[in-house]
Amino acid sequence: MRRQVPLILCFAFGIVMILTQFSPHSFSQGIYEEVISWALIISPFMLVLGTVTLIQTHVARIRRRTEHWQYSFIIFAGILLMVVIGIPFGPQHPIFVWLFNNVQVPMDATMFSLLAFFIASAAYRAFRARTFEASLLLVTALIVMMGNVPIGDLFWNTVLSGLPWDNGLSDMKQWILDNPNLSARRGIILGVSLGAISQSIRILLGIERSYLGGGD
Amino acid sequence: MIKITQWIVICLVLCVIGGIAFSQGLSPPSNVTAVDTPNDDGSSVTIKWDAAPADSGISGYQILRRIAGGGLEEIGEMLPAGTTSYVDSTIEKGNAYAYIVRAVSATEATVESEQTAPVKGTGEWFHTGKIPLFFAMLLFAAAIVWNIYYARSGKEIFVRRIPGLEAVDEAIGRATEMGRSILYILGLGGVSLPATIASMTILGQVARRTADYETPLRVPCRDPIVMSVVHEMVKTAYLDEGRPDAYNEENIFYLTSGQFAYAAGVDGMMIREKPAAVFLQGQFYAESLILAETGNSIGAIQIAGTDSEHQLPFLITACDYTLIGEELYAASTYLSGEPMLLGSLRGQDWGKVLIFAVIVLGVVLELSGVNWITTLLQRVS
Repeated sequence: MRRQVPLILCFAFGIVMILTQFSPHSFSQGIYEEVISWALIISPFMLVLGTVTLIQTHVARIRRRTEHWQYSFIIFAGILLMVVIGIPFGPQHPIFVWLFNNVQVPMDATMFSLLAFFIASAAYRAFRARTFEASLLLVTALIVMMGNVPIGDLFWNTVLSGLPWDNGLSDMKQWILDNPNLSARRGIILGVSLGAISQSIRILLGIERSYLGGGD
Repeated sequence: MIKITQWIVICLVLCVIGGIAFSQGLSPPSNVTAVDTPNDDGSSVTIKWDAAPADSGISGYQILRRIAGGGLEEIGEMLPAGTTSYVDSTIEKGNAYAYIVRAVSATEATVESEQTAPVKGTGEWFHTGKIPLFFAMLLFAAAIVWNIYYARSGKEIFVRRIPGLEAVDEAIGRATEMGRSILYILGLGGVSLPATIASMTILGQVARRTADYETPLRVPCRDPIVMSVVHEMVKTAYLDEGRPDAYNEENIFYLTSGQFAYAAGVDGMMIREKPAAVFLQGQFYAESLILAETGNSIGAIQIAGTDSEHQLPFLITACDYTLIGEELYAASTYLSGEPMLLGSLRGQDWGKVLIFAVIVLGVVLELSGVNWITTLLQRVS
């Protein structure tokens, strides 16, 4: 019974939500919007659950003196500071905004900026021309990269000025993006969509129950 | 000698006569019809009229509306010349509206059409434009259900080898031999995303194996709801394998909801703990390469899987094995080996074959000048 009730609810709501996609009537659209709005109720629980879990995890770390346990105090200091300012004065308070803009945003930006270096190191490994496929990838990447920057067409139009074809690199880049690249992407998207539908049917029929926490 | 006042009177008379003459040349919009907009919730009426000739002198149209028993009111902005339809989305349900289309010339002379018959907005229960989509969905669902029942009857189903999934045992075995942990990253998606559900199902299968080998399985979560489900799932897997003692609740924990803070936290764990195997399964955004490259730098065997097609090149480059798109959804069925789940995979393949056949047929017909498949698909979209 513990498993059957969620399975029945899942099946009933799943079928209703599918049917609302085919019915433009205000009654069915009302049901759709109502059910979607219920999902918002979960958000406050999520916030409480996240905060409680975080505190539990770090209290346990401090108690057990696990490696780098001292950093857990920074977590508590951060939470406390934002709560002390945020709850009584609101998220628009200048100190709250200052902390967000000068602590959170730069740290996020720092992590994001690392991506440039990771792309460089990953590209270096991927573009080593050891096989035919890797060489093809290298040539294609060079064309796309050069086609994306003004110097690419400048090079084409000056050094290769004898060719009866202007801005060749950006044209080739666009062809690569619009044809082989887009075709491959659409193939993947089609597969993903069918996979997602197939998984949804398995969930609706109660064959796949992982979302219930496993078990039978 | 004509006085100035007489000149003014003559000019005015000429202007009026000219205006009348010009407006008489302005033809009223013809064949004006107002119908309830099809396939909507009854909140709009569509007004249509015939296109005026290019030399008609019309510079725009104004739509006028009358509620039964009420006065005329102008609705919307002036429509440019050449417009032949207008959707009035400002109606109130239950009221009947009659419409007049007023043609306006460059000199602001106007001429009005006949008033249309009153029309009410009515919501449709079924979107007729989506009938092909509905039947395609039924067909696909039927194929999957039929194959599930086919598999239940005990007949063997062939599933092609997926190298990324074959490597799961290798990765777990490697971590066990090295005495190091396994790091399982569920991506940034919430519990409602298909990719996250697929990832959780794979995690369940991985947990069964780690329970047998007593290999620590670390799962940093970005979503507290996902974390709760994962707790239950991994616990059940350990119980099913008869190893509840090996289950450590603290290995599944909430890290943070911030995208790059999560990436920083997981990277830190990788650098400090040096897991022997890293699973990146689920939905990823810009942090995918930050995570995968760090995993690569510590020499961990990495098995990735995502349905985010933009992140696939990054994961393919940085990871040892990558489940591409649909393979992520196939993974749970592949690993479990349950006949019913494998049956759904076969049904999915039937769908792919059908779509492939339609694409090939569409290309052939389009090249032959027959475009009914293209028209049908455009109508559905």
